Amino acid sequence: MTVADETRLEGELVLLRPRVDDDLALFARWHGNPDVRHWLHMSEIPNQSLELERQRWQIARNDPTRVSFVIETLDGVPIGNIVLVGIDAAHRRAELGIAIGEKEHWGRGYGTDAIRVVLRFAFEVLNLRRVELITDIDNERGIRAYEKCGFVREGVLRAKRLRYGEPLDMLIMSVLREG
Amino acid sequence: MISESILTAEKVRLRPVQEDDLAHFQRWLADDELRRWLGSVDEQPSVAEEFDWYVSKRQDPDTILWAIESADGALAGNIELRLNALNRRAEVGIGIFDREQWGKGYGTEAMRLVLGYAFGELKLNRVELATDEENVRAIRSYEKCGCVREGLMRKHRLIDGRPIDSVMMAVIRSDWEVR
Repeated sequence: MTVADETRLEGELVLLRPRVDDDLALFARWHGNPDVRHWLHMSEIPNQSLELERQRWQIARNDPTRVSFVIETLDGVPIGNIVLVGIDAAHRRAELGIAIGEKEHWGRGYGTDAIRVVLRFAFEVLNLRRVELITDIDNERGIRAYEKCGFVREGVLRAKRLRYGEPLDMLIMSVLREG
Repeated sequence: MISESILTAEKVRLRPVQEDDLAHFQRWLADDELRRWLGSVDEQPSVAEEFDWYVSKRQDPDTILWAIESADGALAGNIELRLNALNRRAEVGIGIFDREQWGKGYGTEAMRLVLGYAFGELKLNRVELATDEENVRAIRSYEKCGCVREGLMRKHRLIDGRPIDSVMMAVIRSDWEVR
């Protein structure tokens, strides 16, 4: 989506910039970490590679219903990514996805700040009404961050995905522009 | 892809969609009430658009589409599975387009056939759908087939500018096996 091309968004702890082609090696490194992959559908694709990452990005970068940001600390260190996907203009909603790829930055509020910034962008710039997400049922750290940002639990989707080949329940949450 | 499997029950038969069916689908989609409940079609498509829809379904390796006809061979609607092979699940979409054929149990039987195919042939773990909370008749039919309510997605869709909640329902393998 072109709107993100020149968009840089600033929060209290993070700066969001559009993802670019040159970020591939970063993503390959993040997704190569089993502790990061654990919470993502990449848990089912253990052999992460630059080539896989490139194929995935080729599809994502040309998807008009998606905006992709890299999360940087205020001093410019890239630590993860955040996306809105399935942006639906007719129903004015999108799905949010986030991963902090640098594990030493976990638990310091960067994710929460990035989500707040992207929600503001979703509601005020993209004029959406609903932002939703699904997350692993045992992702307590993630769920706590989502709730801090206003996400509400809407249901448990049983056997929604596989993790290491085993069915896993996922939580669906959403935040609405007007309560 | 267009299914090559023919599935038969007492009242309905599922068979591959053929080009001859498209004019019927297209004509039935003039019905505002039908489109309201289908949820996925905002405007009646043109003949050309309906053909494009068919070609895209035929080419999509992750979609399996059947036509629904009554036991005496009258076309009534269609049903499809949209697969997520990585996570062994699918989303099901169904429409009885011919309102003369509403309320005869065709949808319920067609859904049971496709669920049997999904858990039997395809060995999926989960088949899900989201439907308009106000679509009481459809929800009753889905529950008869073993679909369980998992959550309510608040203000999930806009219908004529009005926000509508969607019910998330699913059948998982263990539901199906103990039915």
